[in-house]
Amino acid sequence: MIEKPGHNSRILSNKVPEVTLAFWVIKIMSTTVGETGADYLAVHVGLGTALTDAIMTTLLATALLLQLWTKRYVPWIYWLTVVLVSIVGTQITDALTDGLEVSLYVSTAAFAAALSATFAVWYGSERTLSIRSIVTTRRELFYWLAILFTFALGTASGDLATEELGLGFNLGTVVFGALIAAIGAACALGANTVLAFWLAYILTRPLGASLGDLMSQARGYGGLGFGTSYTSLGFLAVIVALVVYVSVEDSRSRRRREQGGPA
Amino acid sequence: MKRQKLFLTLGLLAAIAGSWPLTSTIALLGPAEAATTNLGDLTPFRTIAAESKALVDKGDLAGAKARIKDLETSWDEAEPSLKPRDAPAWHVVDKAIDRSLAALRAGTPDAATCKQSLSDLLAIMDAGGKL
Repeated sequence: MIEKPGHNSRILSNKVPEVTLAFWVIKIMSTTVGETGADYLAVHVGLGTALTDAIMTTLLATALLLQLWTKRYVPWIYWLTVVLVSIVGTQITDALTDGLEVSLYVSTAAFAAALSATFAVWYGSERTLSIRSIVTTRRELFYWLAILFTFALGTASGDLATEELGLGFNLGTVVFGALIAAIGAACALGANTVLAFWLAYILTRPLGASLGDLMSQARGYGGLGFGTSYTSLGFLAVIVALVVYVSVEDSRSRRRREQGGPA
Repeated sequence: MKRQKLFLTLGLLAAIAGSWPLTSTIALLGPAEAATTNLGDLTPFRTIAAESKALVDKGDLAGAKARIKDLETSWDEAEPSLKPRDAPAWHVVDKAIDRSLAALRAGTPDAATCKQSLSDLLAIMDAGGKL
């Protein structure tokens, strides 16, 4: 049952996409591309961390305003926002770890707490955490805040696993992939889908990072040796293709609904 | 039905929590490094550092600054491969690289400081990041 918002606010159609296979693939790949893109600007182009962080935060603010302003889910705007949230979420964790020397144990715990608090306030206000009823701006703000914290938490916990367990990208891809698969299986067996969705979402951050590393790192290090540039461009091409596909499907089903038929 | 859902959800959380010790065990049982240092072969990075130092010794600080950027980018690219081998050692080398970068990128770089930071960097690399 979808809870109607209890306050006077603009009711929109659901602003965020259905959770499909395409959704997960785009999500995982946009994580990788976001990270390599920001790193490229900071190191290769030589802008440095502070300037790159500032640029990305500004771009995120712009994209988020655009995303909040639209009246329905527009795939390219939504996924652009996701990529930028991915970058900024990563940069926040990196700034804490590298800049302020905050321990990864502390940042992992802090972001887990922040994410839980976001869900608590969201649920207290809206009585539902369902991502199928992000139909008001207020709910959408909760949604994006949660997304930001999942990226920060995913970065912190992934980095923690690397540092404390020596978890490399080969084993990392297997482990994070297996955990997500286990969550999927639990879902099929009846586990709470909201909890399962958000846990899987957090895990896609370290999975995306490991997968990108697996593809880009040198053969001598156990990677596939495609290099960062080609991996990023390849992933970006897949993202664009999938977003185009999703957009076409989305406008098709909207036309069918407008004509009175089933979606 | 509700109880079943509860047990499944708790089981899911327990599995995720329990995967931590399992993963750490697997990670520790991983292939042992045959190299003398945990970080493995740092030759490509050492070469760039040595070339930068040679340029500083010749008085070409600008050339050294240009050359050491190659170390910055190649070290950064290899991070996902090297850091898991030995994170503390990786950080030691990383900080030493940062000090050399800072010295060479200063407003008015001081030749003695640049020389010292690069010597330190080479020594640290030769020790594989072990102090």
